Amino acid sequence: MKEGMVSTEKKRILQEINIPLLAKVHEWFKTPKRVSEKIVRMGMYVLIIDLAFVFIFPFLFMLVTSLKTNTELYDITVNWVPKTLKFENYIIAFRALDYAIYSKNSLMITIMATIGHLLSCSFIGYGLARYQFPGKKILIFVVIIAMIVPVQTIIVPLYIVFANLKWLNTYLPVIVPTFFGYGLKGSLFLLVFRQFYLGLPKELENAAKIDGCGFIMTYWRIALPIARSAFLVTLLLSLVWHWNDFYEPAIYASKPSQITLPARLNELVAMVNRPPEGLFDEMALADGESTVNNAVLMAGICMVVMPVIAVFATLQKKFMQGIERTGLTGE
Amino acid sequence: MKKIKLNMKGKHILEGYVFVLPLIIGTSAFFLFPLYISIKLSFGHLIKMAGFQIEWSGVQNYLRAFIIDANFVPMFLKVVNQVFTRVPLIIIFSLLLAILLNKDIKCRGFFRTVFFIPFLLGTGEVMKQLLGQDVDKQVVSLADGTLIPREFLIYLGSNVVNAIDSFFGVIVLVLWNSSVQILLFLSGLQSIPAPLYESSKVDGATGWEMFWKITLPMISPIMLLNIIYTIVDSFTDITNPILPYIQNHAFSRMMFEYAAAMGWIYFAFIILLVLLVIGIMNRFTHMTEIKERVKS
Repeated sequence: MKEGMVSTEKKRILQEINIPLLAKVHEWFKTPKRVSEKIVRMGMYVLIIDLAFVFIFPFLFMLVTSLKTNTELYDITVNWVPKTLKFENYIIAFRALDYAIYSKNSLMITIMATIGHLLSCSFIGYGLARYQFPGKKILIFVVIIAMIVPVQTIIVPLYIVFANLKWLNTYLPVIVPTFFGYGLKGSLFLLVFRQFYLGLPKELENAAKIDGCGFIMTYWRIALPIARSAFLVTLLLSLVWHWNDFYEPAIYASKPSQITLPARLNELVAMVNRPPEGLFDEMALADGESTVNNAVLMAGICMVVMPVIAVFATLQKKFMQGIERTGLTGE
Repeated sequence: MKKIKLNMKGKHILEGYVFVLPLIIGTSAFFLFPLYISIKLSFGHLIKMAGFQIEWSGVQNYLRAFIIDANFVPMFLKVVNQVFTRVPLIIIFSLLLAILLNKDIKCRGFFRTVFFIPFLLGTGEVMKQLLGQDVDKQVVSLADGTLIPREFLIYLGSNVVNAIDSFFGVIVLVLWNSSVQILLFLSGLQSIPAPLYESSKVDGATGWEMFWKITLPMISPIMLLNIIYTIVDSFTDITNPILPYIQNHAFSRMMFEYAAAMGWIYFAFIILLVLLVIGIMNRFTHMTEIKERVKS
């Protein structure tokens, strides 16, 4: 009791001489239980900031390098902040990549395939979660196996199948399977939706059915709108994977005019080693600045990932909320 | 037209089939059929592309992978080694990070975004190019002398420094590959009902005990999913030398049969590993038990 009074007195004095920080520090050490807690907390922040740095590093590296001039690129003393920002790198990369053409290809594949995944996986995932029917276990087993089989194991027969369907040199081999729960990591999304619906109470759907709602309508009106979080997760992951994927599109649609942006990066790498003639004729750049160097390559990479990052930045808040809400079981 | 009357159960089953119909079509067309052809191909010899005319030739293609081809086995072992070091690290780090991000910290949204950035960059050609510029080695590098004075480094000797550097290099790569896992763990952590923690706190459990007795058992289903995902992901990683090797044999050298056989060896190994993990994890998965306890 007495001790407490002394400490409040001390605190008052400290506040009187107007050192609020010191008062705070005093208070901080006065409560032993919280001290350890706070040290743990501080350690946590240190850890998380350190790790955040590791995670953000490639992005920063990319951004900084993409703005370096030719001389700065090979100057090891210029580590982080370039003295002059060379935005021309982006213009060069834009032309070298033929960004306007190839981004259209990538966009086409990405949007169609993502729509396919959203529609099919929510539909099938709902069925796999809510219905009991013979063969269900086998089906789920196959889905899990499909998740595990590397596409390289079945790529040859798939190629022949698509060749027989005359789908080669179109994007159909990439897009159509997504509408059937397959395609790039489709099985994962199936399981995401199934898991989501398994954790969701059935009461709402049962009520709708008692009120005379058909089973498809129950799905469409009740189950689909509730699954917003699963939708967001699938939407974002599918978008990113399809945008960055270049393996399958490059095999099925191999015409030079059909390749996607990430595949086009390879061409840019080739240009870094051997710049084509005539690319810089119209751009009167200073001597020694007119090469496709690593800075341009980084600018190109930046432009390739920019759409994905923009989408993520806009959806980020809802996406993270979606992650939080995916766990509805506890509510 | 006579309307077919079904009892409740029959109707239920029929509705279920309607929902999975696309999956059944997709499975047969885009998965089981190619899988079947691929097996046949790996045990045979392709005569004619159209109509899949394949002649049985025994295990010749498999023998080739193990005996004749000098590149395959060392490459395969290297990949396996890489996966075995990476997967446990990824799981541990992503769980740790998910728990950190699940805590009530400032700028949580910002940090969650940051931890997702490597995923945006890292699933394709982009990361390959970045790794080509040695980004991973630049994050933590003892050798440049900014972290530890040079004198101390000389005292340690270059072997030790290189070992530490390569260790950090592995950690950095591990972290960059754990974005999705962090996300999955995060959603798993969110789904643990808060009353569980509250009541155990009332009973005097420490944070450490709560982690082992509540958090870990409750997220064990997600853990299983995560481990499987990580194994598959690291086997199909773009930096993995085997995949281009198989692809090269299939599409550049037109050795379809041999490519299929290699694909099957690869797949067989992955599935054995996954089954092993499922078997082990099943002993520790208590999800249903806990759910029932919460309800009652």
